[in-house]
Amino acid sequence: MNLMSLSLKGLRLPFAALLLFLILPAAVSAQSSLQRVRQNGTLRIGTDATYPPLEYVENGQFEGFEIDLANAVAREMGVRAEFINASFDGIFPALQNGSFDAVVSSVTITPERSASMLFSDPYYDSGQLIAVRQGTQGITTPEELSGKKVGVQINTTAQIDLEKRAGVQVAVYNTIDLALLDLKNGRIDAVVGDAPVLRFMIRQSFQELQTVGRRFTDEKFGIAFAQSSEDLRRAVNAALWRIQDSGEYDRIHEKWFGEAAERTADQQASGARPSAFDTSLLRKTWTLFLKGVWMTAKLAFLSLFLGLPIGLFLSLARVQSSRLLSVPAAVYVEVIRGTPLLVQILFIYFVLPLFGIHLPAFTSGVIALTINSAAYISEIFRAGILSIDAGQMEAARSLGMSYAQAMRRIILPQTFRRVVPPLTNEGIALLKDSSLVSVIGLTELARTGQELASRYAAPLTIWPIVALFYLLLTFPLTRVAEYLERRWRPITRA
Amino acid sequence: MIEVTDIVKRYGSNTVLNHATFQIQEGQLTTILGPSGCGKSTMLRCMNRLERFDHGRLKIGEVEVLGTEDRKLSAAEEKELTKRLRARVGIVFQNFNLFPHLTALGNSTEAPMTVKGLARKDAEEVARHYLHKVGLSDKEDHYPAQLSGGQQQRVAIARALAMEPDVILFDEPTSALDPQLIKEVGSMLRALDDLGKTLVVVSHDMNFARSISDQVIYFEGGHAVEAGTAQEVFGNPQKPETRAFMQSFQEEEGTRAEQQATASGKNEKLDAQMGTRATLGQEE
Repeated sequence: MNLMSLSLKGLRLPFAALLLFLILPAAVSAQSSLQRVRQNGTLRIGTDATYPPLEYVENGQFEGFEIDLANAVAREMGVRAEFINASFDGIFPALQNGSFDAVVSSVTITPERSASMLFSDPYYDSGQLIAVRQGTQGITTPEELSGKKVGVQINTTAQIDLEKRAGVQVAVYNTIDLALLDLKNGRIDAVVGDAPVLRFMIRQSFQELQTVGRRFTDEKFGIAFAQSSEDLRRAVNAALWRIQDSGEYDRIHEKWFGEAAERTADQQASGARPSAFDTSLLRKTWTLFLKGVWMTAKLAFLSLFLGLPIGLFLSLARVQSSRLLSVPAAVYVEVIRGTPLLVQILFIYFVLPLFGIHLPAFTSGVIALTINSAAYISEIFRAGILSIDAGQMEAARSLGMSYAQAMRRIILPQTFRRVVPPLTNEGIALLKDSSLVSVIGLTELARTGQELASRYAAPLTIWPIVALFYLLLTFPLTRVAEYLERRWRPITRA
Repeated sequence: MIEVTDIVKRYGSNTVLNHATFQIQEGQLTTILGPSGCGKSTMLRCMNRLERFDHGRLKIGEVEVLGTEDRKLSAAEEKELTKRLRARVGIVFQNFNLFPHLTALGNSTEAPMTVKGLARKDAEEVARHYLHKVGLSDKEDHYPAQLSGGQQQRVAIARALAMEPDVILFDEPTSALDPQLIKEVGSMLRALDDLGKTLVVVSHDMNFARSISDQVIYFEGGHAVEAGTAQEVFGNPQKPETRAFMQSFQEEEGTRAEQQATASGKNEKLDAQMGTRATLGQEE
């Protein structure tokens, strides 16, 4: 896996990450990284566990070749490895600002990356491989891809390599399982990707496909560190050498890629699993889904209930006459509405620590979603207030009520009944937007789906389940809205 | 006693009130009569501070208001002045502006509770008293949308009365109503006058003005052209503008009456009321 990848919405903002790199000076701390790791007794490792068999989540546990390797390295250093699941989009900014000490996530060592971070010695040779439908003739080398339509995962070295070859028509996908699915369906002629992952996925649930030829690039995976962590890098390198000398490395490699592993995998695969909707998968994964649902519900409902009063306050600030309040409120709405939620999330989580404000991921997510939804909610309230006839305010004022009294007793009660439908909209949108917080390592519903879809190479089973859970989550919202609408129904002729 | 002295109000280059001067005696029912666009509604709104004026002086009882360009008020002074003025002066709007989310009773108790700080029980007692006065005792639990136009107007009157002002302003009280209800409004206003309230009615309906008013002020071009009893102004107008208005009104009324008579074929049964109806057909 190379460069950035994996974003549910395809909302890909390399420029945002770039911005973060630029404004992020290497975090200065009195302690060296190694001292900190030793003192805490833990090595915090960021990983995007959607890449079997290298790193993935199985029954809530981190599994995979690189996970075992990282555990062995940590043990060798006399500390414990603590894995933090983070989407690849945010993994390097998080490394830079000290959210973890190292990244072990199939990171290819490239000159570009070496300019902004440190790498351990390479610990794994990978490379790109071609997959085609069984029975396809005449494609075994990259040269033969000319004139063909080829699927790749976005921003991987496969994409970079193929785009340099004339005549290759590149089709870009968010995750590799989706590219393989399209190949199976016949829309593209081949898929190019990291060799071990491609083999794993095909064996798991794309038996109609096969890999051909041999790896045509040489790529080396390394453990990544922040630039200030030279001493930590040296300690990790020493540990890597020691586990190679002791044979530990070979044992791990054998476990995941050896003949025994191949045989077990083949046996598992020969259970001829149906590649369409697989109901047994739901039985196996429903507890993980419930965790994701719970996280999404907490994020969305908390943000909605915090966003409502803030939005109301902003709308009141905007409709009243004093510019002292209305101008800042207008600027707030303009800025928040005009910038992507993803950037706001990244900002709160990765940039605020530079000013000494360290917030946990969940808090950061709730704050970002609250700030964002409050801007939209305020405009809904404002539209509602402006839709009330000006005569209502005049009548209230003429009776001697102050502006605040008239607003509270006359205008707002009428506003509330009008804004229930658009507020329901906003609540549902918020529910789905909350998937963006996966970038800071929160495993909510969509991220759960992503992890499971790649772990079981079963996008056709997992994504419909994800959709169903989202639908279930919107039910309480629509119920409450229906209740309020009934209760606040405008009084018309009896 | 209401004294309006030399009031000027401009919207940009448009002068809406142009040196308006007149007096209204306490306890009287006064109609400000005039063609549309003459500034009479703006004049009324100035008396409740829904509008401010640039120059001149308005005195209602002991509350004195000066033009904004004659005397600058701080925000606190403005608030205090408005409060004092509105405590004395209530208004019934042309389209009533009832609060649709509150019942007739709720409409009439809201301000006494929030502004005067009355307990709900006391506010309801006051409100029921005035709803009874306007003949709506049996409708107190009805929402505005459940009431007819005439009933809505009476709720608006009760709502204003519940604040117990000395002065009540009426903006075009006949224009939003069916012709059949005009007489009813007239007797309602007379009844309020008997309560000792000072009533100021803005209208462009000459017949209505004639039938209800103690005093009529003819308004045109942003100022009071002529003032006097209904008899004086209608029977013997002094100013050419007043005479012209009376004449055009009567002509129009005649034509309409004739048209209607021809159409209905009951010429001889037409009485003065028919004229009223014809006029009301041409609402603004």
